[in-house]
Amino acid sequence: MDNSKSMLISRRKVIKVSAVASAALALGIFPGRMVKADTVKDAPSNPSQVGFMYDQKKCIGCKACQAACKSANKWEEGAEWRRVLTSEKTKAFLSISCNHCDKPACVTVCPVSAYTKREKDGVIIHDSTKCVGCKYCMYACPYHAPQFSDDTGRITKCHFCYELQDNGENPACVSICPTGALTYGNLTKLRQTQGGITQITGLPNSELTIPSWVIIPKA
Amino acid sequence: MHWHWLIVIYLFLGGLGAGAYLTSFAAEKGWLGKKSRLNKAGYYIAAPIVAFGTLLLVFDLGQGLHKPWLLIRLLSNFSSVMTWGVYILSAFIIVGLFKGYLTLRNKPVPQGLTLAGAILALATGAYTGILLAVVKAIPFWSTGIMPILFVVSALSTGLSLTSLLTPLVDEGDFGEGREGEAHILLVGAELIIVAIFLGTMISGANGPAGQESAALVVSGTYAIIFWGCFIGLGLLFPVVVFIIQNLLFIQAAKQVVTEPSVKTGESAATIQKGHHSYLTIGTDISVLIGGFALRALIIFAALPIWDGQTIP
Repeated sequence: MDNSKSMLISRRKVIKVSAVASAALALGIFPGRMVKADTVKDAPSNPSQVGFMYDQKKCIGCKACQAACKSANKWEEGAEWRRVLTSEKTKAFLSISCNHCDKPACVTVCPVSAYTKREKDGVIIHDSTKCVGCKYCMYACPYHAPQFSDDTGRITKCHFCYELQDNGENPACVSICPTGALTYGNLTKLRQTQGGITQITGLPNSELTIPSWVIIPKA
Repeated sequence: MHWHWLIVIYLFLGGLGAGAYLTSFAAEKGWLGKKSRLNKAGYYIAAPIVAFGTLLLVFDLGQGLHKPWLLIRLLSNFSSVMTWGVYILSAFIIVGLFKGYLTLRNKPVPQGLTLAGAILALATGAYTGILLAVVKAIPFWSTGIMPILFVVSALSTGLSLTSLLTPLVDEGDFGEGREGEAHILLVGAELIIVAIFLGTMISGANGPAGQESAALVVSGTYAIIFWGCFIGLGLLFPVVVFIIQNLLFIQAAKQVVTEPSVKTGESAATIQKGHHSYLTIGTDISVLIGGFALRALIIFAALPIWDGQTIP
């Protein structure tokens, strides 16, 4: 009697477990597997979206973009708006800042609406006077664009030098680049560039936030 | 790692308060047996616990003490799960305080208020998990299992805390509650859910970062907290004790029926003694430690989908 009861329970449990397991697996796997062919021809949802274009073949790793950004935008202690990374294997560089994404996770998660995406050019501006310093965006952004300063207790990030752009000038990082490796412009046009890609292997799947950038890879 | 202990405590207390309310709600509805005494203590502590956790969160914010007037904007972004949380927690604290006060004063409580509190409690428990589950850039969090795990853990810790505190606020007889059975079910369910969660992560279904996070928990930096505090103290020890106690309880109850010579009072006293034993107290505390360890593991083992430094 006791035996059959325990059998029944365990059988029911097994069914329950497998049901939960398959549901969980479906939930877990699905977002990761939705990788579509991501071609450079993919047009941004905002036709006037601006973006950075970075040519790995032209970059010499001088980090002038980083320095120019730092001085133009007076980085708060500990907050790096632009970083120049080096591949250990290929010695190729990557200059990366905020990608002013088409589907920006920061704008979605920020509880105080400190982030706004401009209609006119798709630039994402973070208003640090509204930021409460919850750091939710630091987890949400796959590219580590939002940077927290312990000094000020708030987030700051690249705003594409929108004030300079509004005055018809180039962003500080682009202006200073001695080799023309870092450029910017209308993303729809940039995406027509020969050899340009939006997804580098090893970096987060661009389907997550759809970054507004074009990379011309070294290899 | 951007969030630290205060967030861990906040997530734990959010679940604990929610679970305490739902425990007393279940007892009031008779779901824990006809004579469960757990129908009050949970109501008393639910809102204060969640309120305390929320206060800790404010301390953790970079601007919480610096420019507190900025916090009003936390209500502003309806696409942010954190904003949802502010609404849910605020509403739960208010409703929970009313329910607790009226229960304490033995005043009639409108059915709607009690039910609203229960729904908000469930929302509070789920929120602590959804807050993490929507973050796609953290594969270890980005799974629908997270809210389920957090709600079950919330119920289990809430039941333990309510059981611990009930003898302090209510000196009546111990009835024939089904708290033990509920506890076995909850802890058992949690074991299964955790196995599925970690199995999914280790299988690589959520990518290499999810795998690495799971490895940190199961066999890496946090293995001692995982196996010792969470699995051992939080789940296995309680499930063994609850099962043994439940068997003893059933035996004692049978004795009352089959041996009328034994005075009912005596036997009830034995049962009561069993319920109040140091072992029971230790087990309930052990469940609380496990629940806390779970929140700490989930927060501390969260690795980003990309480290922001390495390029191929």
